[in-house]
Order: sequence, then C-alpha cells, then structure tokens
Amino acid sequence: MKKLADLIIKLGSIDRRWIFIIIAIVVMYPLFKPLGLPIRETEASQRVFDMVESLPENSKVLLSCDYGPSTKPEIHPMAVGVLRHLFENGHQVYVTCLWPDGQFMAREALDQVAEDEYNLTYGEDYVLLGFRPGNEAVIKGIVSDIRKMYTIDSRSIPITDIPMMEGIVNIYDFDFLFSASAGYPGTVEWVQLAADPTGVPMSTGVTSIQVNEVMPFVDAGQVNGILAGMPGAAEYEALIGKAGIGTSGMDAQSIAHIVIVAFIIFGNIAFYLERQRSKKKF
Amino acid sequence: MISAEIVGAWIAVFLTLSIFSYLYKDNPFYKTAEHIFVGVSAGYWASIYFWTQIQPNLFGRLWPYLPEGQASGFFGKIWYGIYNIFNFIYEPAFPDGGVATGHGMNLVYIIPLIIGIMMLLSVFSKLGWFARWGIAYVVGMAAGLRAYGFLNSNVIGQVKGSVIQLTGDVSTGAIINGIILVVGTIAGLMYFYFSKEHKGWFGSIGRIGIYFLMISFGASFGFAVMGRISLLIGRFTDLKTYGGADYHHASLWLLAIMVIILGIWTFTSKDKDEATT
Repeated sequence: MKKLADLIIKLGSIDRRWIFIIIAIVVMYPLFKPLGLPIRETEASQRVFDMVESLPENSKVLLSCDYGPSTKPEIHPMAVGVLRHLFENGHQVYVTCLWPDGQFMAREALDQVAEDEYNLTYGEDYVLLGFRPGNEAVIKGIVSDIRKMYTIDSRSIPITDIPMMEGIVNIYDFDFLFSASAGYPGTVEWVQLAADPTGVPMSTGVTSIQVNEVMPFVDAGQVNGILAGMPGAAEYEALIGKAGIGTSGMDAQSIAHIVIVAFIIFGNIAFYLERQRSKKKF
Repeated sequence: MISAEIVGAWIAVFLTLSIFSYLYKDNPFYKTAEHIFVGVSAGYWASIYFWTQIQPNLFGRLWPYLPEGQASGFFGKIWYGIYNIFNFIYEPAFPDGGVATGHGMNLVYIIPLIIGIMMLLSVFSKLGWFARWGIAYVVGMAAGLRAYGFLNSNVIGQVKGSVIQLTGDVSTGAIINGIILVVGTIAGLMYFYFSKEHKGWFGSIGRIGIYFLMISFGASFGFAVMGRISLLIGRFTDLKTYGGADYHHASLWLLAIMVIILGIWTFTSKDKDEATT
C-alpha cells in the first residue's frame, strides 16, 4: 500500500510536459482513427433548430459572424451548419461582422455553402455586408438604419444596387437573427441592443467559455436556444443530418475530457496523500 | 508545382508548431511567431479600419465624388483643393474627384475627424492631453449605449426570467428548477451584500450562495477546458491536413526540422549557461 502511495505521489509531481504529450496523443488518435461515439442533441441546440424550422419560407435572416481564426474550430462549424439549414429551407441571408476577421470567416463559410453546395446567387439569395468598426454602435446602427451603417457591401457594391437589400431599412425588416459569437462584441451586445429592445427572435452559437455568460439569456427566453461550443456544432450537424467538422472533432473532445477528468482525480488523490504524509511528519 | 495555398499551409504549420513549442519552454521559434502575430494583427486592424470605415464613411462624407469641375463656389474649390493634396499623396485611397461611396456631403463629420486627430496626438507627450477629449467621447458614448442594454436585458430581463411559473402547462421538474434558480439568485446576491455582517441566518444564506457560485465556477472551468480542447482539435485537424501529400508533408517536415533545431538550441544554451555560471 505504501509503495502504491509513493508511486501516486511521485506521479503527482511529474513534469507537466508529460501531461501535454498525453493530451496531444489522446486528441490526435481519434482524428486518425474515428471512434464514432454517439452525439445526442441537447434541448438548447434543439431550440435553435426548431426556431429555424419555424421560419416561413423566404424569410430574411441576419447572421452575424463575430469570431476570428482563433475561435474558428468552435464557431465556424456552427456558422456552416446554420447556413446549410437556412439555405436548405429557402431563406435569404444577410451576413454582418462585428469582428474584422469575421469577414474572412463569413466569406469562407459562404463560399463553401452558398456557392459550392447550393449554387446560390450573390445579392439575391445572400449578401455579405461585411465588417464595420464600432462594436455596439454598429448594432445600434443596424437597429435604427442599416443603410447609414452600410452604404457598400464587402465587395464594394453599393447597397442600392443589391436586389435583396430592397425594402431593408432596419432590424425590424429581419425575421430572425443569429449571432455566431466568440466574445465581445457578440451575442450579449446583440441581445442587449437588438433582440431585447425590438423583439426580433434571436438564437446564438458561442464558444464554450461564453456559455455560462449567455445561458441566463436562454433560460429567461431572451435567446431562442444556444449552440454551445464544438459539441453544440456537432449536435446541430446531427439535427440537420449533415456531418461536418464539428462531428469529426467530437471523438477527440470526448476522449480528451475523460483523460482530463482522470488527471484531476489522480492529482487530487496525490495531493491528499502528500498532505496526509506532511501532517504525520509534524 | 508550389502554389500560394501550399506556401500558406507551410507558414501556418510553422507558426502553429512555433506557438506549440512554448509548451517545451520559451524559445526563439515562439518569440518569432509571437512578434509576427503582434505585427500582423496591428497592421491588419489598421488596414481594415481605414478601408471599411475611415475611407468610405468619413472621407466619403467629407469629400463625396463630384464629376470634374462640379466643385463650385469659393468654398467648394478650397475644400476640394485640400482633398487634391490627399489625392496627390495617396491616390488609391483618395481617387480623383472624391470618394464614391454613395454618400452626400455632410460637414458634421469634421467633428469625428478632429476628435480622431486628437486621439492620434497622444503619441506626443506635450499634446497628449488632446486625446482625453476623444477618450471622453468614446467612454461617454459606450456608457450611454450599454447602460440601457444592461438595465433592460441583464436586470429586468433576468428578473422576469427568474419568475416561477406555477400555473398552466408546467411540469414538476420545471417548478423545481425555478425554485432552485430563485434560491440560487437570492443566496448569491445575499453573499455580495456587505452592509450586514455574515452571521446567523444571514450568514447561512450567504454560504448557500457560495455553493451556487462554486457550482457556477466549476461549470465555467469545464466549459473553458472544453473550449481549449476544441481549439487544439482545430489546430491538429489542420496539421493533419497539411501533413498530407497534397501539401508536401509540411507538418512532418517542419516538425522534424524544428525538433532538431530546438534540440541543438537547448544543448548550446545549456553550455552557455554553464560557462557563465
């Protein structure tokens, strides 16, 4: 028993770089050899799906891509999944960005989904209005008069020359708002300045780290569902029946979580044993 | 054939592995990637801000495009004379005749131009105080915008959300959830009430509040771990893709080269350390 305790204490103080290597291996393995672990949709993801399903055909949807390359693995699969769902149901999508690099993320998602998969027409089925600096001021501008905020789109086409912009004046002209958000400015600001004051229905997809911050809005009914991190993206892919990057990453996510939980339990046992020994010494 | 995509992949792999190399220890690869990131970010943001806001929305309103010779009157000629100086300095941003973004002339925009210039004066120590005007404007505007939003969504909306629904189509589970939510909210708020000593019944409620807060911190930690693992998966997915034959095995080659160089660097720096001690 003493030998086992010695071993646990010794392992409890190993160089942290070994832990990095173990995590790297367990994350990498399922990427090469997928395990096919099941994905079960949560109520929060289901609500987002139901919200999109409930929109009448040819609805006007405002999608805000408020993330960048640093959070792409979590948010991009959501943006792609939601775009697929929206285009599949025949809605018009207007894309804005509160983050400068969000414009590139949005363009990549639109190129993949709107152009390659659905062969849609720019300016008639979807438009990338692009990034505008100003954070909350941009949302406020979209709420009051989108044409003052956007006189040209991301391709420098005047708004007046874009067919699907006809009749679009402010946020009230949209039927649904989806914020793909990785932080500030993002979902919280859209709720505070757009969804709550105007009553335009809103759903969101956020990074894992933001879930605790945004979940109260979902529970209070201010936001219709939430896609929470990579699992949220994978659940949405399962709901629309089109597996993507989110799904392929979930095996690695699950295995990594098990290993981390094991490390936490092991570390606590080691810490407890060490503390018991030091108490006995004094 | 080496295309721009392949070159981009090699750069992406190099920078990813350079950042990962910090897990071993601080080293020249990490420093290089860090400095590139800071420089590129600053340049990228400046460029994006100029081309998406300052050029179309500010200069486009101060000097909208007018066909040649239409700048009439004494003021118009002087005003567009100033523009011509900008046009001479950098024609792509200030094209001939004005900035064509569909705006009409609006001279009120001189105010944000002046405030913007004042902000830039912060680089000069003697004129730095000018920047306070701009900062004051930004702080005032942000506070005004956020105050309403917070009050409406984070206070009133959340208070409404915490109401327990007891009648109508409501399950027992939902009622229990509602009660837990209300108890947690009140207990959490009590914990942060410092005008009364945390003793007796008041202290007990505060302690219940701490338990709720601890559960919340635990959930936050769990989500943080999940987020970091997701990002790691994203990088590994790219490294796997770029390790393929299409990209000339960029991940494998660069990993091998970097490991060798880091090994040599570690041994040589060890020797140096020993020599200095």
